[in-house]
Amino acid sequence: MAFRIKKSILYIALTALAVLCLFPFLLMMVNATRTGSEIVTSFTLIPGQALAENWQIVSGYFNLFKGMANSLMVAIPATLLSGYFSSLTAYALVVYKFKGNKLLSVIIVVFMMIPSQLSLLGFYDLVTMLNLVDSYIPLIVPAIAAPGIVFFLRQYCEASIQPALLEAARMDGAGEIKIFHKIILPLMSPGIATMSIGTFIGNWNNYLTPLILLNSPDKFTLPVMVASLNSSTDITANQGAIYLAVAISVIPILIVFAFCSKYIISSISAGGVKE
Amino acid sequence: MKRRVFALALAGLMTFSMAACGNSGGSSSGGNAAAGTDEAAAEAEDKAVAGSEDAENKLVIWTLADDLKQFAEHYCEQNPDTQIETVVIAPADYLTKIQSAMRGKAKEPDIIVAEPQMLDTMYEAGYLEDLDQDPYNAQQYADNMVDYVWKAGQDADGVQRAISYQITPAAIYYRRDIAQKVFGTEDPEQIGQYFKDYKTILQTGETLKNAGYKIFASDGELGFFAGDSAWVVDGKLNVDQGRKDYMDLCIDLYQKDMTAYVASWSTTWYQGMSGPIPVIDSSTDVWNEEQMQEASESGQTTEVFAYGLPSWGVLTMRDHVGDLSGKWGVCAGPAYGFSGGTFLGINSLSEKKDLAWDFIQFVTTNEDTLDWWIETSQGDVVSWIPTIEKHKEDANEIYGGQKLYEFFLEQAEGIDYSKVTKYDKAIGDAWSAAITSIKTGEMDKETAINNFYDTVESTYPEIEVDR
Repeated sequence: MAFRIKKSILYIALTALAVLCLFPFLLMMVNATRTGSEIVTSFTLIPGQALAENWQIVSGYFNLFKGMANSLMVAIPATLLSGYFSSLTAYALVVYKFKGNKLLSVIIVVFMMIPSQLSLLGFYDLVTMLNLVDSYIPLIVPAIAAPGIVFFLRQYCEASIQPALLEAARMDGAGEIKIFHKIILPLMSPGIATMSIGTFIGNWNNYLTPLILLNSPDKFTLPVMVASLNSSTDITANQGAIYLAVAISVIPILIVFAFCSKYIISSISAGGVKE
Repeated sequence: MKRRVFALALAGLMTFSMAACGNSGGSSSGGNAAAGTDEAAAEAEDKAVAGSEDAENKLVIWTLADDLKQFAEHYCEQNPDTQIETVVIAPADYLTKIQSAMRGKAKEPDIIVAEPQMLDTMYEAGYLEDLDQDPYNAQQYADNMVDYVWKAGQDADGVQRAISYQITPAAIYYRRDIAQKVFGTEDPEQIGQYFKDYKTILQTGETLKNAGYKIFASDGELGFFAGDSAWVVDGKLNVDQGRKDYMDLCIDLYQKDMTAYVASWSTTWYQGMSGPIPVIDSSTDVWNEEQMQEASESGQTTEVFAYGLPSWGVLTMRDHVGDLSGKWGVCAGPAYGFSGGTFLGINSLSEKKDLAWDFIQFVTTNEDTLDWWIETSQGDVVSWIPTIEKHKEDANEIYGGQKLYEFFLEQAEGIDYSKVTKYDKAIGDAWSAAITSIKTGEMDKETAINNFYDTVESTYPEIEVDR
């Protein structure tokens, strides 16, 4: 009996939490179908009639799909680059013994703690000098150096890679790069996938850097475009359109999450079981 | 053990990325910029670039309000050899964007748009071209421009660097039907008398309260008319009697139950423009329609008599008045004030200054353009005096057929720009924070004012504070 009560309390609490988490999403969907004036003057969960109108406002400002394509063009390469190069670094730091290994690790941890906003101005100057303003290169290439991801993957590597595996591979005559590609990368893939979700979402939502670096409207990424809806003259007029744009822009994130969630769960539970 | 730590770290990271998810929706909505119409904006197609793609001249404009897109379109129709790229940037980040671009010595944008509160920063940083020199000779237009916007476009040395096409004087928007019932008149001149100074406003509030109305939705409505003196005079903080009277008025309005306790730009605030709003007390659920119905039957709702807004409020009100269209009027407030405005300047590094100047002239001084704009925007007030004169007789039906252009011109001519300092925003905010903490009983007056002095002192060490 006590067990039952405990269980039902648990379920009630969890349901409440789930509602709390999902409610804003629902509200966003509903508000995407209402006019700005309706949104600021009343509150309801019944969808309104203004979906088409909102869509018109959004497309009056920009081409949402162009923005999505632009965002993907930045987020996907950046995610791939950061996943590959971070795992490469992490692997080297764990497996190879060389002078300065410890020092390098410490430096990486230190860099992890510097907020990126701090270096923004210097970064902008660098980009100007390289003549790369208004291009995607400065948004993508720096993803190669991602101290946070290296740090986490290093932990992951230490936990999941057996030296015996490497020895066996070397004995069979595999080169170091081949070992990494054929054996280590697949072993680390759950960890990389987990990190990649974060990287992807981070890049997808990144606002300040593209805002500063991109100048032509047709190169703007999604968040920059959506934010420009705020520049309406009457702040209420575009509320519905903003909700709609945001609702559409989270779709790719939901897809990525659905696709990768099994990796997240497996890599977390992997930590809990003794092999 | 290590694994457990790792799993924990992962879980933490996931929480973070979730938080990031939520962020995209939260981008600030502080842009109550200039005037224009959302309808017209909806008509403006998906075009950041106006004019034909292969036109030989290309002009780049950076702006924080979408109205210039329409001007650009209009310009390109008449100048087919030009294309104009209008980049609209979210108001909250606009200055950051300009600053970083100018730091990189950018030749584009050719035209920089600014609002009054950013102008000083831009003048000091030297972003904007001197418009007094050849070939611009902007001073030729001085006589035809409303004085305060012309002055606002000048830097500390009086050099013209930016020009605005609109004026944004503040006014009181009031309900004609309530005025008729309570004061026996709805004439703007006479109603203006009920708002002529802070003391009278308090009496007006009392009268309205006795008649069952609220004078304002919030005491913040008077913010545009707060004090008729400069905050900083000769490097010294200046808190004169007017400021203190304003503080007392706000406290009285709040504590004597004359406002509806509604924050400006909130949901209920907008509701008040189209009809009754609930009297806020703990038992009424604002969101519940049934309860609201009951509340209105049992007399628990009230109506708001007046709003204080700049001239672009004409458009805000228009979109929200609903059935009360035609029942609003506009009259003068206790002081002159203004807020917002779209100023255009030329990037001092631009390579297309002639074209940029041509466009600025087209937007600010070309009477055909301005006639077209008044038509398109349905009520925006331009800064070019001959055009306002021409539209003097235009009646606005939403405001009971009142002749608004004439009225706003008068209000704008009363504004004394020499009282405006670059500290106004920060100091004004600190002052209203002090007022809020006094009226809600959080602090006594002395503590709050001392806090205010402390804030000013620590924000601007260069200002001398005489307590």
